[in-house]
Amino acid sequence: MTASQGSVRLEGVVKRHGDTVVLRGVDLAIEPGEFFVLLGPSGSGKTTTLRILAGLEELSEGKVLMDGEDVTTQEPGERDVAMVFQSYALYPHMTVAQNIGFPLRMVGTDPGAIRQAVADAAAKVGIGHLLDRTPGQLSGGQQQRCALARAIVRKPRLFLLDEPLSNLDAKLRLETRLELHTLQRALGATTVYVTHDQEEAMTLADRIAVFMDGRIVQVGSPRDVFARPQTVDVAAFIGTPPMNLLPGVWEGNAVSVDGHVLPLASAASSARQVTVGVRPGDLRIADAGLPARVERVEDLGDSAIVSFVAGERILKQKTDRLPLVQEGDHVHVAFAPAAAHIFDRQTGIRL
Amino acid sequence: MKLRRIALAAVAGFGVAVWVFPVLWGLLTSFKTERDVLAYPPVFIFTPTLANYREVIFGASSIVPNLVSSFIVSTAATIVTMIIAVPAAYAIGRLRYPMKRMSGFYVLATQMLPPVGLIIPYYLVFQKLGALDTYGGLALIYLTFALPFAVWLMVSYFEDVPHEMEEAALLDRAGRLRALWYVILPQVRGGIAVTTIFVFLNAWNEFMFAVVLGGNRVRTVTVAMFNFISVEQTQWARLAAAAMLAMLPVILIGFFAQRHIVKGLTVGAVKGGGRR
Repeated sequence: MTASQGSVRLEGVVKRHGDTVVLRGVDLAIEPGEFFVLLGPSGSGKTTTLRILAGLEELSEGKVLMDGEDVTTQEPGERDVAMVFQSYALYPHMTVAQNIGFPLRMVGTDPGAIRQAVADAAAKVGIGHLLDRTPGQLSGGQQQRCALARAIVRKPRLFLLDEPLSNLDAKLRLETRLELHTLQRALGATTVYVTHDQEEAMTLADRIAVFMDGRIVQVGSPRDVFARPQTVDVAAFIGTPPMNLLPGVWEGNAVSVDGHVLPLASAASSARQVTVGVRPGDLRIADAGLPARVERVEDLGDSAIVSFVAGERILKQKTDRLPLVQEGDHVHVAFAPAAAHIFDRQTGIRL
Repeated sequence: MKLRRIALAAVAGFGVAVWVFPVLWGLLTSFKTERDVLAYPPVFIFTPTLANYREVIFGASSIVPNLVSSFIVSTAATIVTMIIAVPAAYAIGRLRYPMKRMSGFYVLATQMLPPVGLIIPYYLVFQKLGALDTYGGLALIYLTFALPFAVWLMVSYFEDVPHEMEEAALLDRAGRLRALWYVILPQVRGGIAVTTIFVFLNAWNEFMFAVVLGGNRVRTVTVAMFNFISVEQTQWARLAAAAMLAMLPVILIGFFAQRHIVKGLTVGAVKGGGRR
């Protein structure tokens, strides 16, 4: 595979199921070799987008281009793409070797070459010793690897992965995530990866497209999406614990929340209704600021998550500073003026 | 707990006894002389004889030609039924088309008609067509009864195969036909076996249409057995021997396919339970 292969473009893609609109006009450009993550809550249209790329879903409007070629009306088998399904979709009546070799067998590759390719692919994902088993005899992690091997065996121009780690237990998920990243780098193949887990997206992606309600609301590097969320929804979706959101009035170099004035780094030209977002990591205990009561301290050993009640709101702080406050303490919380994200209250768009 | 198991075994044992009794009675009868059959009170200790079997296999009233007839009609009906039912069920189970729900109901609705209501119309039609007393005619009738049932049963098997598996095959460049052949059909082979057996057994055991639409040339084993009952005399011992012979293929099939049949009866009871 050459580096110039595997570019993908979606142009004005709309998908309707009867009266419901699943995708409301998606434009997307994915570069060759990129690890591109479609991130969003369930029902946001990310899986539909992936299935449209695969050719499994017809689109109502718009175009799909791969390497500059219009593939909108091509069958899944004609597109030279491979997919790993959330359920793995292994063929239960075939052995691991037959599963992995199936895409090659379907295009009439000779048996010797299939054997070699199967052995190579299986070795790459570490299941070379399981070739004679059937999927039913494999653990979840091994099944996942088998599905992965079936995808990489034919060296397609595009890999599509639909929440491939969601059926694994937490520890295995972390391991496999790393391996997946290494594998993708080694193969250098364009990869589109669907997940609702923002941590997966942050660690794997070269770029992330954040889906909300059938639209892409932001495309950017993980750092970018985390540091400069374009809408209040993105801000609330990315990060654990989620961003603290405080409605207030922005006037001059400060915002007033429930009558308490907190300084901001930028000045408003005139007073306006805003939502101020503060990452839990940016919240700190100060001498002045919002009066709050410590509701709960979740000690994670090397860090802690502290929940405060300020007025009717619950604010979360992530801190590694010890000694910790005690539950029931009355304190003031504040944030560095530059750490605040300011969004328009009405539209939710970043200001 | 122990008491519960004993009670369960007792109930099950009673059920089995009720089911098995006529078969055992028939088996005993088939080895009796006509005199012993009619003895009252019934005798359980008697000198067994193979004369009845000799008569119904080699004698003047041999049922072997009828077994052959039954086999031809049942096999033909079964093969044609399955050739039509499997693709039809796949289409109903997989593809989206308008009025799908209604067509499914229609298929079942044809099963609700009492067959006896059809005998006279069929007889008249067959008479006009010259289809009375032909293998094709009787096989066609069995086809019409078996097809809705077979389609309906097969649909439930196809619906158990995850869509993603077929989609994976499409992405693996199999195309729809090869995806069906290499990936889907192997998943439903248990269902195909069960459906085939049910269709075959229904045709094999059918009596009413065989007696009306058959004749001297096409006389199935159920009809031949009926001929042991006449106005003057019922030859119970021969009838029993013939029944035992007619049951033989059924029992053999049941014995070898037991595992599949039980699965077939419980398909859909547990979601996905009927698949593997």
